[in-house]
Parts: sequence; C-alpha cells; structure tokens
Amino acid sequence: MLYKLENVKRVHGDRTVLNISELEISPHKIYTLIGPNGAGKTSLLKILSFLDKPSSGKMFFADEAVNFSEKHLYDFRRQVVLLDQNPIMFTGSVRSNIEFGLKVRKMPPAARNERVEEMLALVGMEIFADYDAQSLSGGETKRVALARALALQPHVLLCDEPTANVDNENQEIILQIISKINKVHNSSVIFSTHYLSQGQKLADHTLLLQNGVLSDLTNENIFRGTVIHHSDETFSCQLTGQLALNLPSAGLPAEAQILRLHIDPDGVVFRQQDTDVGKGNSVAGHIVELSQDKGWVRVSVDVGVTMVLRMSMKEYHKQLPALGKKADLFIPHSSVAWSQADKPM
Amino acid sequence: MNLLFDSVHSALLLLFSFDKDLIEIVLVSLNVSSFATIIASIMGVPGGFLIAYSTFPGKRFVLTCLNTLLALPTVVIGLLVYSFISRKGILGSFDLLYTQKAIIIGQVILIVPVIMTLTIAAISRIDSRYRMTALTLGANPLQMAVVILKEARYGILAAVIAAFGRVIAEVGISMMLGGNAKGFTRTMTTAMALEYDKGEFVLAVALGITLMTLAFAINMLFHFFQGRTRSDVV
Repeated sequence: MLYKLENVKRVHGDRTVLNISELEISPHKIYTLIGPNGAGKTSLLKILSFLDKPSSGKMFFADEAVNFSEKHLYDFRRQVVLLDQNPIMFTGSVRSNIEFGLKVRKMPPAARNERVEEMLALVGMEIFADYDAQSLSGGETKRVALARALALQPHVLLCDEPTANVDNENQEIILQIISKINKVHNSSVIFSTHYLSQGQKLADHTLLLQNGVLSDLTNENIFRGTVIHHSDETFSCQLTGQLALNLPSAGLPAEAQILRLHIDPDGVVFRQQDTDVGKGNSVAGHIVELSQDKGWVRVSVDVGVTMVLRMSMKEYHKQLPALGKKADLFIPHSSVAWSQADKPM
Repeated sequence: MNLLFDSVHSALLLLFSFDKDLIEIVLVSLNVSSFATIIASIMGVPGGFLIAYSTFPGKRFVLTCLNTLLALPTVVIGLLVYSFISRKGILGSFDLLYTQKAIIIGQVILIVPVIMTLTIAAISRIDSRYRMTALTLGANPLQMAVVILKEARYGILAAVIAAFGRVIAEVGISMMLGGNAKGFTRTMTTAMALEYDKGEFVLAVALGITLMTLAFAINMLFHFFQGRTRSDVV
C-alpha cells in the first residue's frame, strides 16, 4: 500500500478541517480528490506530501509508519512532490527553477542539463528556458512548475487543482502530462479538482471529500437551501426563489435554518406516468447539457438550479433527451441527503 | 546666511583639495562603520531569520525587546561598553578603550537590533509558498533558508543600508569609546562636534557635506545591487 491513514485529524484552532477514519491508496494509480471549496482537499494533500502534520492519527507511507520527525519527513519528501494550486517561481530563469530539485540532490551538471531539456520539451516550454521565471503567465507558470516537479521523477506526484485558473489549451496539456507520467514512469498521481468529469476521465479512483470527511456521495447536485417551513412530518427547503423541495423532517433539528442538500444524480429520474409522486418531489425545467462519461450519460436540467442526472446508455436510448427539450424530473426522498451548512463539524 | 555660504564655499575648496586630515577622518569613519555593519549583519541576518522562522515560547517578548532596543541611546551603549572595557572593567586587560575596536563593539550593539528587526520584517513578508516549494522539491532546512533569504534579499539589503546609515551618523559611541584621537579614532561625526566646539565651521561643514555625499554614494551602490535600476521596479 502506498499510503494508509487511520483516524487522521487536522485541527486549526477549534475547527476540524480534516477527519479521515480510514484511507488506503494503492501505488502506480491515478487518484482524483474531489470536493467543494473548504472540503479539506489541500489539507489532505499537504499531509500526504509531508508538508504538514496531522493533529492526531496514524499514517503509513510505503508500508512504513510515519513518525513525523524532521529526519523522517525529509526522507519521505524526497519521494513525493506537491504541485501547488498557485505555484510560485523562485527568482531566476525557468531553467534554474527546473533544476532546483536536481541541484539539492547533487545531480552532476551534465545529467542535470539533460533532464532539464527533457522536462522543458515535455511541457512544451523549450523556448522559455532562459526567461525570467517570475514573468510567465499563469498557465506557463503551472507548466514550468509541473516540469520542476517531474524533473525529480517522484514516486508520487500530488497536484492541487492543477487545471484551476488555466485556459483550456493549458488544461489539456497539463492533464495529458499527468496521464503520461503515470503511464511512462509508473508514478502514482493524486490530484484534486472541482470537476467530477475531469477527475473521472483521468483517474483510476475517485475520492470525495465533504467537510473534511471522505464521502461516498458524488460532488454534483450540492445546493444550499433555507428551511422555510417545518412541521412534525415534513419541512420545505427553498433552493431559489422558484424552487423548494418538501422533505421528511425526521432528524431535522428545530433550530436548523441553512441546509446543504446533496441530491444523488443516479437517483434523479425523468418522471413517468406511474411515478409515485408522494415519495419525492417533481420539478420541471429544460435540458441544457448532455455529455457522455465512461458508458454513462449526464443530463443537466435547468430547474432554477442546474440539476444533474446520470443514466445508462440503454436508458438514454429509451428516453432520448435532447438539448432545449422540456423535462419533468422526479427527485425521490431517498436520493436527497442534507446537512446543516451553518453548523461546524 | 553669509556664514553658511562662506562655510560651504570653503568646505568645497577643502574637499576638492583632497586635504590629508579630511581624508584620514573619512577613512577612519568608513573603516569602523563598515566593520560594524559587516559584523552586525553576520549576527543579525541569521538571528532575524531564526526568530522569524521558529516558534518558541516568549517569541513575542523577544520581538518586543528587539523593538525596544531600536530606541537605545548611543550614550547608554557607550556607558555600558565603557564599564566593560575600561581598566577596571572585566575586559580591561584587552586595552580596547579609545581604539577603533571599541567603537566597532559599541556600534555593533547599536545596529544588531536594527538588522534583526528589519530582517524579521523582510522574511515575514515572504510568501509561505517559497518555503513549501523548496521543501517539497527536496531541500533540507539550510537549502530552504537560502531560498528564503534570496527571495528576501531586497528587504535584507534595506536593513543593512539602514544599519550602515545609523552607525556612520552616530556620535555618542564614537566619542565615548573612541576618544576622538586624531588619526586613530577621529570619525567624521566626532570631528564635526570638535570643530563646532572650536568655532571652526568650515571643516565641520566640509565633513557634513562629505558624510552626506558618502551616504548618497553608498545608497546608490546598494540600490544598484538591489536591481532597483530595473524599469519594472518603482
């Protein structure tokens, strides 16, 4: 096992930003870490890259227990590289930045130059070799930072939102490099992203973080709503001015006001004539997006908010949803989960 | 006003005649101030880095003490060092009193807090991602420190410039510990004070002009090293 985490917690002040009861990560695979802002993705990546220590819990790397002494961390850091969400360039040229990690490892100059040239070619930045690294654009900086990390041929490459704030062209280049480095060098890759589709396209495994906790839910159809009516049996949660869902009130505290709703895309269906509407909510809208993803079809429907449902190809051919077409959706109570958005963990 | 204009006129004539006494005084000043700045930088920059980058109980108290030391009067330093290096002091056997070394010791005490506090401020402003990036790329703590110091070089150079400016312009320590001995410990500021006492304004003004010219030239030199001549830096 590459990583094993047991009851790992990271606490800042009185706020628990990460609370992972168990996590195992296999070597030589690509993992994607998905979650909304503040879910704990960066905190987890910093711990996995040995740049931060958990407040409590056990961690194993390559089947060896991590004791978080400086010596131990230094040894492990030489096998793992974290690519920051907003990478920063050291003062100097692009070349000097890429060779930094090689220099600190005392690689001979000839081999170092060869590696730098190879990395510049890999990220398509050969002509920028002698440019001032701090004068590059955001996308170019990310590519150079990726080259700087890959020059070390790490066992594990950790990337914190590698495609955030990058144009489409640079996004594609970065994703291709991540995929290539896994295939060619057999490096393990763990990258975080907001985009479920991007993660699933590239990754062997998907990890979803919500409020610092690993979740089985997907990262889509997460909405914030206000409780506008609360009785013993049901409550109404308003998502927008037009859209409110009626849900069973079992377990809802009387003081709850702001909720985070998660609606499972696999649970949402097109309403049929025989649908038992008493066990869920019916909403109407029109289809705004269709996409294919590993044998599944994602349908985005504008119902006041953009609601995503996922269907099999067989179901797709049966329903034949089309862009702009009106759609009546049925959201079963069983596919809705909620948590209090205004209450800390 | 005539007195001032006459003094400036005579001072300029004295300067351009490269008067031997004047050159001697300037060299003594440069010698003690440069050594004091170098020694204080060797102590203050790493000290400031360690304080900025470490967490320990009482750190806030240490910072408060350093900030307080910025206001330490030169006369107090003079008295303190005098009590150690006078014949009756515990370092009296080294015969340091009324030597350039004595002035350097006092000046080092004066500017170490200046360099340390400004270094702490310069390093605290450096983006924490530099540290993270250096560590994740495999740097050891020393290599990481070099990265941080390199990125903070403008602020650190500013600290050194400020410290040099402080010592070359101070008079209390030089007078009390140096004794203003001609050719040995007479600095520009002590000479100015002496000439003023004698009513000899010409040499005093000439020394004043020299001091300001030197300060300007040294600042220009530092700015050159800082890369401030680059068009993208305002």
